[in-house]
Amino acid sequence: MSVGGSAGGAPSAYDPKKLRMYGLVGSIVGIYLGAILNSALDTNVFSFFGAVAAIFAVVMGANAVRRVCAYGIGTGVPSIGMLALGMGIIAVMFGLSVAESLGSWFLGPIIIMIYAGVFGYVVGVIANKVIKFNIPVMEEGNADLSMAGALAILGWSFAISGTLGYVDIVNDVLMTGYIAIIFIAGGLAILHPFNANLGPDETQDRTLVNAIMVGGLAMVATGIAAIATQGTAAGLLQLVIGFVLWFYFFKMYYKLVKRDAAAVVGTGLLPPTVQ
Amino acid sequence: MDAFSMGLIAAMGALATVAGASEDIESDVGSQSNPNSQVQLAAQVGNPHRIYNKAISGEPPANALWAATAAIVAYTLITAFQMPALFALVAGASVAALFNGVFSLSSYFGRNSSQARFNQWIYLDMVRYTTPSIMAHAWITSFCIAAISYIMVYMLPIPHPFPMPIIALIWGLAVGAIGSSVGDIHYGGEREFQNRQFGCGLNTMLSGQIVRKAEAGLRNSIDNAWFCTKFGGPATGMAFGLTVFLDNWRTTVFDPVTQASFAIAMGLFFIVVMVIYNNYIERSLRKKYGPYPEYKGDIAA
Repeated sequence: MSVGGSAGGAPSAYDPKKLRMYGLVGSIVGIYLGAILNSALDTNVFSFFGAVAAIFAVVMGANAVRRVCAYGIGTGVPSIGMLALGMGIIAVMFGLSVAESLGSWFLGPIIIMIYAGVFGYVVGVIANKVIKFNIPVMEEGNADLSMAGALAILGWSFAISGTLGYVDIVNDVLMTGYIAIIFIAGGLAILHPFNANLGPDETQDRTLVNAIMVGGLAMVATGIAAIATQGTAAGLLQLVIGFVLWFYFFKMYYKLVKRDAAAVVGTGLLPPTVQ
Repeated sequence: MDAFSMGLIAAMGALATVAGASEDIESDVGSQSNPNSQVQLAAQVGNPHRIYNKAISGEPPANALWAATAAIVAYTLITAFQMPALFALVAGASVAALFNGVFSLSSYFGRNSSQARFNQWIYLDMVRYTTPSIMAHAWITSFCIAAISYIMVYMLPIPHPFPMPIIALIWGLAVGAIGSSVGDIHYGGEREFQNRQFGCGLNTMLSGQIVRKAEAGLRNSIDNAWFCTKFGGPATGMAFGLTVFLDNWRTTVFDPVTQASFAIAMGLFFIVVMVIYNNYIERSLRKKYGPYPEYKGDIAA
């Protein structure tokens, strides 16, 4: 399944359209499922659904970073990850407050996704037409990134607050300062996979497995935050699931590294040069 | 202003100095940030090496992550479990160091396996002895930054209105930015091109031609940390320490609400003094060492 290469339109084994569908559907369904179960059963045990849902969005975002940055944006990888979360946080606050004023938290995620998609596309058009990046997949990639950033922030915010209400998220996530870890861990989950695997022999599956791994680590962090906002049981559950996800995918990542590397040696002198 | 708050400001300055120094050395052990591009390029121009290649975004976002992680853990332990502050900060820094280890490992593995066609190997012994060193430095940085945030939010007479994790995030970004612009030059410009004439600048044809062999054996990343501890680390520490100290000093001496204009004027004064001083340093350096000669081929060492 591994298809390598980096320059110009990153060849990939997994179709970006399919990954986008998995990412969007997975994260939206996960967030709704968590929110409905939480409110129907009057509990907050299912908050971890939000954190798992965010990982779907992260994988989609990491793939978008990979596609856009394969056009030679080496040092711009961190910037584009931060851009994704920057666009995302605006979309989340906008969507949640509109849903609140419409009187139904249920509309929130849909409004956020649509707004983030349009917003990202506009940013992509500006990047291509005004700043003249001239990257063919820029508009599409930015729309993906914006939606991924927004849904990742929403998923983790839900994981910390346990509801999708605007007031609750402001109180539990923004006023406590937990938004800091969502923002930066989410940003790194989207940008780190491609950044860490940058190089001519980068492979898509390795990059995406790295994304899930970092997403699991971010889930550990939101689990710690959830201990304070939702109590020990819900927080620890999230923390443990995050750790298990991280551990499983770290092992898988190491397997892929051993598959792709020129050699993994215990120790040794410099390898012979290949020119 | 009282003696207690002045003491706190001094403590924050001291913590920031340590944080700056350890941040720079942490990034140098792992070859993060701008020197990383040369380490990355080395294998591609036919110089496979045994130097750690840790590309965790730029330094600002990476350090923001460690600092924010330490702060959320500490904040959670303090607010939810009423733990003592020092214990909570230590626990937070430990979690941050573990996060740092995971990110470091994954980028060393990832970057080097993406250079398979240039025969860049992955050395597990290097991973085993270098990663703990990186994590240890990240521990110090995140502990100091989280402690500064704690002091600002819970101990100063006029507490900062932002929550602790946000302040840690901002200081993390700041220490990363300062480490990247102040200290990394020492590693990237001097250490990686130690065999070239001092101050010759980086000619394009030297890209990737980094020093791979040490005084004895092969150069490793711990050697680079040893070198950078002499100047790059302390310089970064001084820059970040002064930033934290002077910035908090002016808002402690002058009340930020009633004497805001004095505090702003003091900030502007600091900036003017620093611009003049930097200009003086630049001029005296150019007089002593410049103008640099044109590149006339390699000079035998």
